[in-house]
Amino acid sequence: MTINAAPAVRPAPDPTPAAPPPRRAKSGGTGGSRWVAVAFAAPLLAYLLAFYAYPLIRSIDLSIHDYNVRAFVQGNAEFVGLKNYIDVISSSLFGQAAWNTVVFVFGSLIFQYVLGLALAVFFRGNFRLSGILRALFLVPWLLPLIVSGSAWAWMLNSDNGIVNSFLQAFGIGQINWLTSPDTSMIAVIIANIWLGIPFNLVILYSGLQNISADLYEAAALDGAGPWRQFWSITFPLLRPVSAITLLLGLVYTLKVVDIIWIMTSGGPANSTTTLAIWSYREAFGTGQPDLSPAAAVGNILIVIALIFGFIYLRMQRRQEQS
Amino acid sequence: MTARRPWWKTALGVVFTALMLFPVYWMVNVSFTKTADLRVSPPHLFPVDPTLDGYAEVLRQQLPNLGTSLLIGLGTVALTVVIAAPAAYAIALLNLRGGRTLNFVLLVAQMIPGVVMAMGFYAIYVRLGMLNSVWGLILADSTVAVPFGVLLFTAFMSGLPRELLQAAKIDGANAWRTFTSVVMPLSRNSAITVALFAFLWAWSDFVFASTLARNSALKPVTLGIYSYIGNNTTQWNAIMATAVVASIPAAILLVVAQRYVAAGVTAGAVKD
Amino acid sequence: MLSTKLRKPLALAVTVVALGALAGCSSSGDAGSTDAAGGTYTWWDPYPQHEEGSDWAKRVQACGTDAGVTIERTAYDTTSLTNQALLAAQEGTSPDVILLDNPAVSTLADTGMLTTTDELGLDTSKVDANLLAAGELDSKDYGVPVGANTLALYYNADILAAAGVDPAGITSWASLTDALSKVTAAGKKGITFAGINTEEGSFQFLPWFWGAGADLTKLDSPEAVSALTLWTDWVNKGYAPQSVIGNSQNTSWEEFITGDFAFAENGTWQVNSAAEQPFKTGVIELPAVDSGVAPAPTGGEFITAPVQKDTARYETTKKIVDCMTTPEGFVETANTFAYYIPPTSDGQDQLLEQHPDLDTWVSAVKAAKGRTSDNLGTNYPLISEQLWTAVQSSLSGASSPKDALAAAQKAAASATEGK
Repeated sequence: MTINAAPAVRPAPDPTPAAPPPRRAKSGGTGGSRWVAVAFAAPLLAYLLAFYAYPLIRSIDLSIHDYNVRAFVQGNAEFVGLKNYIDVISSSLFGQAAWNTVVFVFGSLIFQYVLGLALAVFFRGNFRLSGILRALFLVPWLLPLIVSGSAWAWMLNSDNGIVNSFLQAFGIGQINWLTSPDTSMIAVIIANIWLGIPFNLVILYSGLQNISADLYEAAALDGAGPWRQFWSITFPLLRPVSAITLLLGLVYTLKVVDIIWIMTSGGPANSTTTLAIWSYREAFGTGQPDLSPAAAVGNILIVIALIFGFIYLRMQRRQEQS
Repeated sequence: MTARRPWWKTALGVVFTALMLFPVYWMVNVSFTKTADLRVSPPHLFPVDPTLDGYAEVLRQQLPNLGTSLLIGLGTVALTVVIAAPAAYAIALLNLRGGRTLNFVLLVAQMIPGVVMAMGFYAIYVRLGMLNSVWGLILADSTVAVPFGVLLFTAFMSGLPRELLQAAKIDGANAWRTFTSVVMPLSRNSAITVALFAFLWAWSDFVFASTLARNSALKPVTLGIYSYIGNNTTQWNAIMATAVVASIPAAILLVVAQRYVAAGVTAGAVKD
Repeated sequence: MLSTKLRKPLALAVTVVALGALAGCSSSGDAGSTDAAGGTYTWWDPYPQHEEGSDWAKRVQACGTDAGVTIERTAYDTTSLTNQALLAAQEGTSPDVILLDNPAVSTLADTGMLTTTDELGLDTSKVDANLLAAGELDSKDYGVPVGANTLALYYNADILAAAGVDPAGITSWASLTDALSKVTAAGKKGITFAGINTEEGSFQFLPWFWGAGADLTKLDSPEAVSALTLWTDWVNKGYAPQSVIGNSQNTSWEEFITGDFAFAENGTWQVNSAAEQPFKTGVIELPAVDSGVAPAPTGGEFITAPVQKDTARYETTKKIVDCMTTPEGFVETANTFAYYIPPTSDGQDQLLEQHPDLDTWVSAVKAAKGRTSDNLGTNYPLISEQLWTAVQSSLSGASSPKDALAAAQKAAASATEGK
């Protein structure tokens, strides 16, 4: 029995993140008792407690006290409850930062996913050099962000950037990519898409590997062209992989600070200030670290990511039940 | 099997890769450019008046840092796999109670911004005396890779055919035996994928290195770059040269590893 | 028995762990040791480009040896230094000496983590008042400047000659703008500066702001608006390139050395670079609006001593600080850092003996002002943030200079109220 038989029943085994194990596989245990399972998971549990719980608690602590610089050093911050959150939400910058975040995240995700998927499908049939080319696609991830961010900042420089030079060769006038509030967001999104393609490519490509070639052959025999094959076979079977890719992509993109910071520092005129940038700037970008509001914004970001996490879980559950 | 290797696909592939790597090319271009030519308008597509100053600096100063980065990268890979794989095994195949919740917690763990983590770690490390140590940095860098690793391994392992595991049980293997002799070898591809991401994340990390290991005797290359960023002056060709030199061995590693990530899943372990 | 696939990675893991443990053991420890004499003193400074074995590092070690101790030096980039210092202070592991960028001194002093110069027993009477003021909070001084740098106007003599502009005639904004129009008419580029939305942007804008007669407590005064209008007009007319909106001082200098620009607003630290260029360069002080020299902000670090639990350490710390702040010491620092102007007249005289061509800079530093002076102290960073935001807003066309500054003043006032 192989995967060919019933593609609609259960997602094929794939080396990529998908749903947590469905309940009905309960009896498949390898004879391990509950404690054996805990023993295997123990290092992870200890690790999570030590390394995630503490910074998270600290972040919440920072946000519910008034940690001005003096209090930070002397450790005697005043408890202010939800005041920091209220201040942050009612600040005039919140609306703009939230909107920028939405634009940045969804703009990046859509293109990263589509381009990653297109490239994954493109690389699916092994042709000459495909392995090496695919590996080269990961090179952007080797570079420290200061290097890749700076490279993009130079390429998009209004006066001496290669992109404008290139466009001018086609008669398009000078675009002030990074210095005009109208185009700065587009510029950072482009750089972020570039950064996100490798991740999407690798995961979606692995997912594609698990769709049996027999399915495609059968479809071809039935007369389906490549486009039809994609929509009827590839895309539906890839759904769990796509879902986790998008969710992880969302979580990572919400946190993005470095690339925007290096290219525009959140400007001009706050046009590229996302919630993450705002949090970073409050804590580290001015001469007066404002750690409590920064922590408040950071926690709001975590809550937003959580909401999407719940949506994802809900979708998973619904899919399993179907 | 018909040779489905149209050359046009290769050509197109090269074009796409070239487009994708253009910023990397620009980085190489800058590494050879004199400081006086950095902002010239219109920009030169390649270094018209090249200089090797950047590379001279790198070879003079950065090579030990590259070694440290490699050490940290490999260490992070080892630690990540050692923590993530058994845990994923427990969730996927040993029916750990609350496995689903754990998966969710891992997702949440990835939502915490790196800077928040670094500040939290600083407090812990100061108390444990782990500042400025390579081991501390490996631990910190692995926090980026472990949740992702668990998710990846879990997904993969939960899809392994149960017959294999039953067969092992019939042969008298306990959970650990099954894990090391059956599950891990089958999970080779996901292990390599996890290793790849862990290595890349650790290699390019700056935040943790900067906060936790500034004065270490062994610095990773991302910190080494900062010796070219002065108060008011920056030596860009040296920085880019460092990045180029740092990328070469890692790129080679990538090409080699990619071969393993490519292959299919159970690779014929179960015959019909 | 382990499968071969697992054996290799495990062996690797064990090796790595072992190596890592070794590395961890052998790497240097952190905060200073317990005995005051013959021990290790920790020193933080923002000069990562001066590594082990550089002149600066050797000098620091020499001062330590003179005081009878070894100095363990860590170099951070300026932006991280303040935060690391705060983290360390919170944990009680502050280093013995920190060299801090001068606007950060009041912020850290306010937290109580720095000692005053009185506590340490330092004599600051010889230091120029305008330079010392940057580190003054509520009439107490919290450190000694190791030197000051400031801004002036570099010019490309060849371009000016070709366009018929006499640099000596640039003594007001009007004459400068006039020179720019002549230069651009002759086909060259006008002026470059840094308008980036970080402290560097404020730093570069302040000479014009102060040169118009404006005050940091009132960002929306007519004088302030006229200063911002000056910059905005330059960008709109093409006298300054669009890139100034994102330029750091370093980037701006890179533009100047392409040889296409007539003027660059930059600092003392580029003196050597200017001399190396294939075109002839000169420097004049930044003009005020009508006549005279515009006060430029002081750059440069203060040497400060954080509070330590073991107050017996202060005696040796004082010796180290004294060693760094002798007139010869100041001149040495000046030369190492191309060029920090010494903050005392003795130091300045000695420097001029060695480098008579630095007289424009010495004069600029004497006319300079600390950003945190006038007891702005910890309010300065809050005001500065609004100032650079307004500059960006106006230069990028997002709002008019008047509206941008009005919004800035409103935000600054609400940020600083009750402080």
